Amino acid sequence: MLPKGLLLLLIIIYSCAAEHETSMLPEAYVDAAQRSTHTNNWAVLVDASRFWFNYRHVANVLSIYRSVKRLGIPDSQIILMIADDMACNARNPRPGQVYNNANQHINVYGDDVEVDYRGYEVTVENFVRLLTGRTQNGTARSKKLLSDAGSNVLIYLTGHGGDGFLKFQDSEEITSQELADGIQQMWEKKRYNELFFMVDTCQAASLYEKFTSPNVLAVASSLVGEDSLSHHVDPSIGVYMIDRYTYYALEFLEKVQPFSKRTIGEFLQVCPKRVCISTVGVRKDLYRRDPHKVPITDFFGAIRPTRVSTDRINVTLANEEDFVNEVVQSEPRKQFKIILEPQFTAELIK
Amino acid sequence: MGLLSDPSLSTHNKLVDNLAKHMRKVCYAFYTAGVIWFMCLALPEFNHGTYLSENALSPGLVYPEIRIDANRLAVQLLEELQRERKDHQSTTPHAWILAKFKEFGLETHTHNYTLRYPFGGGKEFHGKNVYGILRAPRIGSTEGIVFSAPYRAPSSVHVDITSSVPLLLAFADFARRKNYWAKDLIFLVTEQEQLGMQAWLEAYHEGDRDPDSTNSYLLAGNLPARAGSLQAALNIEVQDFEIDYIDVKIEGLNGKLPNLDMFNLVQRIMAREGVTSGYKQTPRKKRRSSLSNYEQNLRQILAMLSTQSSGVPNGNHGLFHRYRIDALTISAAKRVTNSNVKANPSSAAVPLLKAIEGIARSLNNLLERFHQSFFFYVIVHNDRYISIGDYMPALVALAACSVIKAYLTWSTLEATQKSDDANPKTETASGLESIKLSLPYGSVLIYLAAALFIGYMGNVLPLHQYILELPVSAAPLTASILIALNVLGFGLPFVVVLPPGALELLHISLLLIYGCALIVIGLLNFSLGFFVAVLTTPMVIALNTKSSANSTLRSLTRVWTLLLNPLVVIYIIVLIMSFYQFPELTLQQLLLRAATAAMDASTFALIDSVIYGNWLYFAICTVFLPLWIICWTLALAKRRDSAIPQAKLKIN
Repeated sequence: MLPKGLLLLLIIIYSCAAEHETSMLPEAYVDAAQRSTHTNNWAVLVDASRFWFNYRHVANVLSIYRSVKRLGIPDSQIILMIADDMACNARNPRPGQVYNNANQHINVYGDDVEVDYRGYEVTVENFVRLLTGRTQNGTARSKKLLSDAGSNVLIYLTGHGGDGFLKFQDSEEITSQELADGIQQMWEKKRYNELFFMVDTCQAASLYEKFTSPNVLAVASSLVGEDSLSHHVDPSIGVYMIDRYTYYALEFLEKVQPFSKRTIGEFLQVCPKRVCISTVGVRKDLYRRDPHKVPITDFFGAIRPTRVSTDRINVTLANEEDFVNEVVQSEPRKQFKIILEPQFTAELIK
Repeated sequence: MGLLSDPSLSTHNKLVDNLAKHMRKVCYAFYTAGVIWFMCLALPEFNHGTYLSENALSPGLVYPEIRIDANRLAVQLLEELQRERKDHQSTTPHAWILAKFKEFGLETHTHNYTLRYPFGGGKEFHGKNVYGILRAPRIGSTEGIVFSAPYRAPSSVHVDITSSVPLLLAFADFARRKNYWAKDLIFLVTEQEQLGMQAWLEAYHEGDRDPDSTNSYLLAGNLPARAGSLQAALNIEVQDFEIDYIDVKIEGLNGKLPNLDMFNLVQRIMAREGVTSGYKQTPRKKRRSSLSNYEQNLRQILAMLSTQSSGVPNGNHGLFHRYRIDALTISAAKRVTNSNVKANPSSAAVPLLKAIEGIARSLNNLLERFHQSFFFYVIVHNDRYISIGDYMPALVALAACSVIKAYLTWSTLEATQKSDDANPKTETASGLESIKLSLPYGSVLIYLAAALFIGYMGNVLPLHQYILELPVSAAPLTASILIALNVLGFGLPFVVVLPPGALELLHISLLLIYGCALIVIGLLNFSLGFFVAVLTTPMVIALNTKSSANSTLRSLTRVWTLLLNPLVVIYIIVLIMSFYQFPELTLQQLLLRAATAAMDASTFALIDSVIYGNWLYFAICTVFLPLWIICWTLALAKRRDSAIPQAKLKIN
């Protein structure tokens, strides 16, 4: 087996060397550069606003949660932050349920929703601590972003934003600078491989303006100076159900299956101005890959890069006894004697 | 030396001297500017379109769920109530209302209260309110909304609003079946007009305190159950299920208003349900008037201000404002027969019920009390308003007249004194100071205090134990005390002759007090402040203490001042009102009727101040009457021999 494998390797090296002689970059190299090298996926989904009339923000974040979970990111790798409890709000005519559509097909607050940060725990401090990994002692494992240099991280933010900030609860804001600093720290601490930053608020594009860290792809529901708008009202609940950008993003995501060939490039175009009313902002300059060649599951799913080999590979071991005997025989036990060096050189003194 | 008291900086500069020469012109210019500004408020450029600023309300986002069965229930309840009314000609069918509340599964309670009427030998009146609480199903009872309907017995002189109670009950029955209430709903049926409401509110907020029964006239008692802090209230006055239009009443006690958001909310919901609704809405016929937009707006503003100025609430909602609860009344007027629009009688109440449901759900969404929009505003049109920032300049310009006049009079004081003096050249700056110092401050203060005391007596005397025991009914008693006090004030300047220089000083202090009073009253109740300012400022500007003035002008000022005596003004207002109300009376009858009506009005104002906390009576007695006494003193301008100040100056 061994010489055969060696031969294959030699052939590959040879062929690569042969291609280097042309002026073009080798196709395989280009492919390799475009191919993701991540080993795991994480998602941080944040609803930063509270109050009953902000029902839609909770619906937004729960919908995205549902999608990433469906596409394979386990709950242990999703950090869900929800600033208010809509399901159990006294004004909710359907207690314990949250819908993202007036048709009420899907209860996005289903049986298996794990909210990691809830209510007043959703603060700027906790969010920044979560991103940078500086959680306080005693923080539960479920409240930590335990990502590494091989993680692809999806960050989704929704709430009420302004030029350069996003409001948390009704009392504080995170600024775009703080956000950029947090992400830079993540990069320096090797907490991500690639980062997809998605934000649905008014003037959302202002939030990614200050980013400088590499491998970050950002998309925002509206440009600076624009409002992001809600999609529709459910007249039986009496609130706006979902925001436009998230609605169309979901419409796209719902059609995505774990092994789908859809790309991030397509995802970036889900909400044209005609339907979104606001202009979707995209920031690609920090991202080295071509979004049209990046499968959407690189961020929304948990599909790791795998290599398919058509060759036969023997993964079974030989008969164990034979193997053991072989090892024993091949390495005859050496007779050796342990000589302890004297610790103190007494002879010299003698 | 302190810079402000530096005599070289004293007011002796050319500008002030020149201005002082044209003092009256300057003041009248300000007055005209204020009035013109006010007139301009009716122009669309000066007022703004209404909008909802409270996000939480989210009006009209829900489909109304109330259905025709609620209408059937309301009709059936109305029939039952009509049968009950036959047996209760002058009382309230408490048992029936209680039974219905209980039948609908509400937490039902009654509230008893007693009024100890201070006049006429101390009679006692008893009353009873019925209320049911619908507890919010999934939240603690920390907040509540009140839905109230006044009940009027058949013997009442007011418009029949029997349909309100069945409507309230039908809505209560609907609300009970819903699980989305985040606040307790209180359904309240009050009797005896505003008295019942006042007693209930007092019992709700102060019932658990130790009753101070010695001093109070309304013994409100306590309530057996409460529903937390009240956030808003909607009072319903419905004449009939078949409604023509809805008049939204907002003016509350002392001219307070509910938050503009609440008014806008009602307008928005009513518009959605297709109900004609508006502020000071009138029947359709009158609405099709040929008046221009501007004239209509101005009329609307004046109508609002005149309702507001008396400080008497024009509905039960007005008493809530005292406890910082935003409330208004929706008063539904009966559809006149022969109308072109025929409503289906089996669903007549549905739009109104839907509107109430919509308002209730929006109020239910509130996260805190109304605080986003304006509390001080004037409604120009159903969808246009003037904010306090826009209307205050009018009043400030009027009040500025008196302050400017005070300043100019003060700065020219020494100049006039100096010209009286024999050798003006020897005067130095310190000499001028000493003139100001030598003014008779003490006697002026005493005089002011005396005027204030006379006014204050108007508050105290009518309720004094000895006087209440006199076998005279309330109206003549109060009126005669007030007249006596006015006569006292009238006679004061004849009896007391002020020392030299006192009149000038009194003039300045009058102007300052008057200006301050206008601003303060205008901030609390703009309408009252503005009307008083418009009426009296020209007279105050015209007042002149100089002996050299024209004698005809002087006597004209005196007559003018006399006409502006508070009692005379009240009498004239009542006279004009009775002239419009009873055009058939002869002049003599009219004068007599107005006199009795004015006596009644003064008594009612007193009772309002005692029971409801209306401060109009207090303001008239304690602010306007003393000010008038001083005005009258200045108009008479009686002074001692003018030789005396010279002598005094020479001593210095």
